[in-house]
Amino acid sequence: MSDLARQQADFQRGILAGDDAVLAEIPDSDKEKRETLFGVYRYAYGSRLVEALRNDHELLHGYLGDEMFDEMGHAYVKARPSQHPNLRWFSQGLPEFLRANAPYSDYPVLGDLAALEKSLNDAFDGSDGPILALADVAKFAPEIWQDLTFTPHPTAARLDLTTNAPAIWRALKNDETPPDAVTLEEPARVLVWRQDNTPMFRELPVEEAMMWDEAAKGIPFGVLCSMLATYDDPESAAGRGAGYLHGWVTSGCLTGVAA
Amino acid sequence: MNVASKVQETSRSDGPRQSAKPPFLGFGLGLRHQHYDEILSGNPPIDWFEIISENYMVPGGQPLQTLEKIRARYPLVMHGVSLSIASTAPPNFEYLQGLKDLAHRVEPKWLSDHLCWTGVHGKNLHDLLPIPYTAEALDHVVSRVQLVQDFLGRPIALENVSTYVQFNNSEMTEWEFLTELSRRSGCWLLFDVNNVYVSAFNHGYDPLTFLNGIPADRVVQFHMAGHSHMGTHIIDTHDHPVCEDVWALYAAALKRFGRVSTMIERDDNIPPLDELIAEVERTRAMAEQVLGPAPR
Repeated sequence: MSDLARQQADFQRGILAGDDAVLAEIPDSDKEKRETLFGVYRYAYGSRLVEALRNDHELLHGYLGDEMFDEMGHAYVKARPSQHPNLRWFSQGLPEFLRANAPYSDYPVLGDLAALEKSLNDAFDGSDGPILALADVAKFAPEIWQDLTFTPHPTAARLDLTTNAPAIWRALKNDETPPDAVTLEEPARVLVWRQDNTPMFRELPVEEAMMWDEAAKGIPFGVLCSMLATYDDPESAAGRGAGYLHGWVTSGCLTGVAA
Repeated sequence: MNVASKVQETSRSDGPRQSAKPPFLGFGLGLRHQHYDEILSGNPPIDWFEIISENYMVPGGQPLQTLEKIRARYPLVMHGVSLSIASTAPPNFEYLQGLKDLAHRVEPKWLSDHLCWTGVHGKNLHDLLPIPYTAEALDHVVSRVQLVQDFLGRPIALENVSTYVQFNNSEMTEWEFLTELSRRSGCWLLFDVNNVYVSAFNHGYDPLTFLNGIPADRVVQFHMAGHSHMGTHIIDTHDHPVCEDVWALYAAALKRFGRVSTMIERDDNIPPLDELIAEVERTRAMAEQVLGPAPR
């Protein structure tokens, strides 16, 4: 190993692990001790990454408050050192971290709230794609509608949340007191996407969530309607399917249709 | 320490391929999202903008769309924070490809990053970490700059960073290191006036010695920024207006380097756009005072 490589390894260990070996290679300045000067890098590391988490998870920060959020943030920084050159992606593992590690895993709403914010962040700067218009669908003759398949917009993502995190998110966003966190009997089925440059989400009825998930896999419209018929009144299944499809198109959730 | 002999000992090539010096752009500002609407609705009197490259190394959406609109109105320069040019870890070629793709899209007047490293062993500390000024480090960084410039297909500019520590094994000064690096690799220099002031205070040397040690023909850009004074040391926080001492050093830099594209860099505690425009106007006025009116 070269001197430079060894020095950089020592320097990094000094920041990440608090190892003082690197101090032997650093002089005091004429005004300050080396411990204090090197401490600038030690402090900046944690505070910069926690600040990045605050920026990406503004509402989780609001929910937990400064002290708890920063404690959680430093635990995440320690457990998941950044491996990506772009700070944009540092917080990507936060939902999974909160769901897997006590004491945060004892409060499932934290992982859910982080997952919702992460999905909205991802929708904000996710890939661009065409927006399907009603006219694009209407041009197909009725007799081939059963064969139509649909492509979700690249920013569209589905989440199943076990808590009332969506309601808590809305309250926090509106500067209102959030409701108590509760675990739901049935998961909240959430669709996240970007509409006119704004990240959006809404909770889907169980059969619409099923239809979305299957449509995203390329199941044609006729089969989707047959699947809907198993959830509720079979007679109205085609109408319900057309209604859900209309909603997806008019809110910009789809990018393509094919027969 | 015999600085001259150590510099001489470093391996020398026949010299880099020299590219044309980037144009003088005037007086600019770091582009920050807080000012997007005001810039697009008001066309403020700023000659050019510098973008943080990584902020736009994303798949799509509003950041890239806004960038396209601003690019249609103003010259742009790309400034990165993650090149990690001095790291002994292998270069991150995925990052470099992303940088190259963004440069292809933005067509910046030039592209810059910092003389520093940000991590080794697969980790990124997201900080501009210092290096020892040794012949070994110089050889290493020269070879990395040449590789990056070949990969990107364009020269880069490297900025002097604010540092809080020095290394016992340094064999030359920072300005000697930068001079040799630029001469041997062909990279341009981004002279951060505030960083010179900060490092000079922290390490107890005269900032004018640094300034006079940099070759005038290699500097393509000035950064002006604020800092936080801790009494025994200064931290480069970019969250304050430029202080009077740094303005004085800027005047000295103008005398030495002449007309150099200059920008105000604010990264935190972002004020209303008008406050930053006033600082940009002061860079312009000071340049005219020192160098005379800009040629039309």
